[in-house]
Formats: sequence, structure tokens, C-alpha cells
Amino acid sequence: MFPFLETKVDKFTFRVDTTCFYNSEGVWVRVEGNRARLGLSDFLQLRSGDIAFVEVKPEGSLLAFDEAFSTIETIKVDIDLSSPVTGKVVFVNPALENAPEVINQDPFGEGWLCEVELKDWGTDQSRLLDATAYFEMIKREAEDEVKKI
Amino acid sequence: MSKSPRKVVIVPCSGIGKSYGTVSRVAAYQVTEEDRPDQTQLIPLALLVMGDEESRKIVAESQAITIDGCKLACARKMVQQSGGQIAREFAVLEVFRRYRDFKPQGITELNEGGEKLADALAKEVDVVVDELSASKEGDSHA
Repeated sequence: MFPFLETKVDKFTFRVDTTCFYNSEGVWVRVEGNRARLGLSDFLQLRSGDIAFVEVKPEGSLLAFDEAFSTIETIKVDIDLSSPVTGKVVFVNPALENAPEVINQDPFGEGWLCEVELKDWGTDQSRLLDATAYFEMIKREAEDEVKKI
Repeated sequence: MSKSPRKVVIVPCSGIGKSYGTVSRVAAYQVTEEDRPDQTQLIPLALLVMGDEESRKIVAESQAITIDGCKLACARKMVQQSGGQIAREFAVLEVFRRYRDFKPQGITELNEGGEKLADALAKEVDVVVDELSASKEGDSHA
């Protein structure tokens, strides 16, 4: 269990894992040594809806920062996700093939997308949001959306 | 006097404004009005929510197939609350995962993908209706 920042906007509760960094789309990175796991934030999965299919670049693929590395197809939208890191995909979460709903159920845990061998984490990190900055961003976005209703 | 066999009850999602809810209802109409009209009966979810006595009684005394458009699973929950026995529950998302080419879009009117998905879903429901009808027939002959 990871520590979370949490906010409730309207009827939705959003959680942000404080051990991760985030790109502005809502893809998280959790770094361990020279590797990182990537996944969808709680906010992104809630906003996107139930996931029907997910595709991730196969193991061995090289990722560039901000380049599309995964596509999710939900009941509402199809989204290309941009990589928050530069590196090589070393492992794709096998659970996604038969149970992509695990992303909705546990976005920061069992619903991770892939594991990447990092190439230049120092540079990547400087271009990402930390948990607090991402939390503030999604809070504003969620509150703005509620005002539109 | 022979007692007429009770029909299989079909309870679809009543979600408005969502393609998946529409797919569930189109499939339910196809089963109950075109494919298996003699073996099935559609019960609108709204009647169960309102507590309509007759609908609740039918559901409580029948085998039900629920078709839910989203994970809130209102159809399943209302049938359970009405004391019904769920013979099979369908979720449109699960069916879509089996027919990826049939991506539903549109709300009041489904796109071609949505119509095909509803048709595929209806055919899966038809199979379950046939199984339930056959087993009831077997029971009555036992």
C-alpha cells in the first residue's frame, strides 16, 4: 500500500500516489534503481472510463520521452499514452491481456502497464510533475469540470 | 389444466445517454421481440426500481437474465433486490471484449458497430434462453 494524497470532487474521489512522478496526461512513473514502472493515474482511469483493451509496446521496444507507448480503449474514448521516460521496455504486465479492468481496479498497483530500463532519469524527472504538483493540477481540472455541469 | 411454462425474464440496463446502455436495451428488444418472443419476457428496470408489485412478483418467480451497461450493474442488483434468481448476467463491456471490431457509438441511435454488438449480445442471450428453456422442459417431464 502506497501513501496517497486524496481529494473528493463532486461524487468522485481521486487519489495520487506520492511515490510517483507524473506527466501532464496522467501517466505515472515509479522508479526503483535503474528501472521504473509506468501506469495510469487514478484520475486518468476514472476520467477515461472502463477499459476494454490496452496495448503496450512490446518488450525490447525503445521509448523516447513524450512518445506514444501505449493505447487504451475504453467505453468512452481511445487514448494514446505518452511515455514519461526514455528507455527500454523490459516487461509488460501480463495481467493486462486477459484482465485490462485491473487498471480501473488498482491503477497504482496491479494495474501497472510496463517496466522500463531507464536511460536518462535525471533529465526525464526534471520534465515531470511530482505528486503534489500533479495533485493540484487534477484538483483544478476536476473542479473546473464540475463547474461546467 | 396445464400450467403455462414461465418465461425467462430479461432485465436490461436502463442507463440513458450511454452507448453501452443502449446496446443492452437493443439486444434485449431483439431477444424478446424477434428472436425468442415465446420464451422470454422483458421487464423494464424502472418498474423494479419503482417497486411495481407485478414486475417484482414475475422476477421473483422466474429465471432472469440481466444485461448491464456498466459496472454499477443496476439490473443485476435490482433483480437480486426483487428476490429474483439470476440465471446469467451479461455485461456489455465483457461482450465487447469478445467482439472488438464492433465498437459502439451513438446514444439514441447506435452506429453500425453498436448494432452489430447488440446483435452479437442478443445471440449470446438466445443461447442461454434456449438452455434454460430446455432445462425447464426437462424438469416438467421428470
